Amino acid sequence: MSANAKAAEHMWQEDLLQVRALRKTYAIKGSNKYKMTVLDGVSLSIKPNETVGLVGASGAGKSTIGRIIAGLETSDSGQLIYQGKDLQRMSAKERKQATSSIQMIFQDPYESLSPRMTIEQLVAEPLVIQKLHAKDSEQRRHAVRDALTEVSLSPDRYMQRYPHELSGGERQRVGLARAFITRPKLIVADEPTSMLDTSLRLDLLQLMKELSERHGIAYLFVTHDLALTRGFCDRLLVLDQGKVVETGTPEEITEQPQHPFTQGFISALLELDSF
Amino acid sequence: MISKGAKWIGWTGVLMLVIVFLLALIGPYVVRHDAEKQTGMPFQPPGAEHWLGTNDMGQDIMAELVVGARTSLTIGIAAALLATLIGTAIGLVSGYSGGWVDSLLMRIVDICLTLPFLPLMIVIGVYMGPSLITQVMVITLVMWAGKARKIRAQTLSLRSRGAVLAAQSMGAGHFYILWKHIFPSMLPLVIPQFVQAVNVSIMMESSLSFLGMGDPLSKSWGSMLFYANSRSAFLTEAWMWWVIPPGLCIVITVLAFSFIGYCLEERVNPRLRAYQAASLKGAKSAVKAALPGTSTADLLAVESLFVRYPKENSTMTAVDDVSFVIKKGEVLGLVGESGSGKSTVAAAVMQLLKPPAMVEQMGIHFADRDLSRLSPVEMRQIRGNRIALIPQAAMNALNPVMSVREQLAEAILSHRKAGKQEIQERIDQVLMQVGLTPRWGAAFPHELSGGMRQRAVIAMALINEPELVIADEPTTGLDVKVQVEIIKLLKDLQQRLNLSMIFISHDLPVVLSLADRVVIMNQGKIVDQGQTLTVAHHSTHPYTRRLIDSIPRIRTARPLQEQR
Repeated sequence: MSANAKAAEHMWQEDLLQVRALRKTYAIKGSNKYKMTVLDGVSLSIKPNETVGLVGASGAGKSTIGRIIAGLETSDSGQLIYQGKDLQRMSAKERKQATSSIQMIFQDPYESLSPRMTIEQLVAEPLVIQKLHAKDSEQRRHAVRDALTEVSLSPDRYMQRYPHELSGGERQRVGLARAFITRPKLIVADEPTSMLDTSLRLDLLQLMKELSERHGIAYLFVTHDLALTRGFCDRLLVLDQGKVVETGTPEEITEQPQHPFTQGFISALLELDSF
Repeated sequence: MISKGAKWIGWTGVLMLVIVFLLALIGPYVVRHDAEKQTGMPFQPPGAEHWLGTNDMGQDIMAELVVGARTSLTIGIAAALLATLIGTAIGLVSGYSGGWVDSLLMRIVDICLTLPFLPLMIVIGVYMGPSLITQVMVITLVMWAGKARKIRAQTLSLRSRGAVLAAQSMGAGHFYILWKHIFPSMLPLVIPQFVQAVNVSIMMESSLSFLGMGDPLSKSWGSMLFYANSRSAFLTEAWMWWVIPPGLCIVITVLAFSFIGYCLEERVNPRLRAYQAASLKGAKSAVKAALPGTSTADLLAVESLFVRYPKENSTMTAVDDVSFVIKKGEVLGLVGESGSGKSTVAAAVMQLLKPPAMVEQMGIHFADRDLSRLSPVEMRQIRGNRIALIPQAAMNALNPVMSVREQLAEAILSHRKAGKQEIQERIDQVLMQVGLTPRWGAAFPHELSGGMRQRAVIAMALINEPELVIADEPTTGLDVKVQVEIIKLLKDLQQRLNLSMIFISHDLPVVLSLADRVVIMNQGKIVDQGQTLTVAHHSTHPYTRRLIDSIPRIRTARPLQEQR
């Protein structure tokens, strides 16, 4: 192995998650011949404590990547190397263990919280599923209080309430607390702000940023809203038709887009912005 | 929360059911005769010894009724329980697993749904001999499939719900998800299904027994009727005490379960509830005399509009004293965050609010007519014709099985008579206006891209040359590029056709780009309004400032340019 290759290997090993050549197609209903390619060989890497933004138009496949990483879907081919191991080749048991350090927050704060559970039960659910502190309900409760405090929700006020009594912004914080309770290393955030009112979006991102700084969490932030990535993401990947067409810092991409798709995307945004 | 009427019906059902159960449970201790033995003379009329008389064999009818109640209830509940359990299990598994398992199970369900009830009973009866178990089996076999279908449909929709996905992403197993997330959501549906099933199976049991296909050794209400019929009770006076009591028993039991089922159904289905609430409250009772204070330049004038929704013991005010006017050719932007009541205002203008919403206003004047006083028929002539709506979700706004052209033609014909030639010309014209080449008219909605679909929806709104267009978040959910296209199109159309428009959006930049005047709403109230530029640059209202300042910019933050 050459020195270069060794160096490259070393660099790869620093990554928390590597996605290599991910492909995914969906069968089109009623057709055996034609398939829709959603992901066409996507590779990306996330370092510990890094916030990576995934932007693109709807239908570009950005949510699919997040869902595959979180284990909600499987890929047709490609690898997910998480801390040096291929997630998709793990046994169900190993995978379950791994997923306790990969969590997800969802787009819809109304739907992703079960209406029949109290906030305490909701936030504790990952512990129940992962069978953590199974015997010690006091410890569980303590963990829930901790997680709620981390997202600036007062445990005493919120633990016994139900999701329908909360505003959209508060619910999304509960979602964040639920993702945080297992102390994950990576959180996949699938358009977490798109259902929130504009004035609350920046607040949530600020909170996510603080959480990441305090506890060393990496984010994969899936969004169609390029403006939000400034000041939040360390690195951006622009996705078009299942392929990564451009990478760079948010500043680079918004100021000097290189790829024609990105250029068109930015100029449309600027036009909206200039109104 | 259930309406009073339904509650009353529900409790009546419970009372009736208690009577039937009492008959079955304590009857044997009160009636001292043995139903199987001859305890009196045949055909004895009701009297002190035999309260309901005797049958052709001298058996006590009251005693028979008691035994019959036990049989009917046992079979009814057993069969319903089995059918509901099997149906729920199959429906859950089928809907949750999908794929070939789902296909296979659903084919079996299809077959069971086509099974004819009576011949099946005869065939199975011949093989197994008539007995209680046979009856339960046949009734279960006939009923489970329908339940399975209903549960499967519900499971399908629950499976892709956010809460289920969230659990899955936390590493939850299938059993955990089914048990903790899907099944509890299903319970409110399963319980009324069970009650209805009891109802149906008691009817089935009675019919089977009446036709002589029941268990000849156990007495049931149906078999009493069977014997009464075959021993010609109708030719004598005996039918009065021999036929009416078991008949009444069946009616009471079935009614009792229906009543309870109705009450439960209403609890599960809030829509039924909504219509009831309205009839109770008299939604439009408080319309006051309208003030004719509007000038003729105003196309639409809304005065003191209130919309309230009932909420446990109180009301929630969604729209709180909203007044505004729109002049001809003016674009009014209605801005607010979700829940601010902006869409409710639009629905109130269109007279589309249904109970439980309670609407009050001083008047909604459109071209010198008070819309709130028009009859539904008059309003229909205005809606879609003189006032048109561009709704938010373009996919849902179009009929998936009709081509764009057919839908446009339908929109014209629902308001006026027109010749074929004229219709086609008008459609071509409108399609061109919204930037679709006329050949796209032949396309079905699913063949169009998101942007084209939204154009088709705009064409629908414009087809009858409306005077006022209400656009309710017309760009939400579209790609940024498409959003820009649609906004440009709307701007262009508005100027070319001199449309008056209410543009509703939570997206302040979009509204600022289009509207002449803006109205800013928060929690049902108008908090700020004025000329767009004045509001954007000089408003000192804290809420407005917060909205404007929270707009994220993709390049460095800079003040709004004076470029409009």
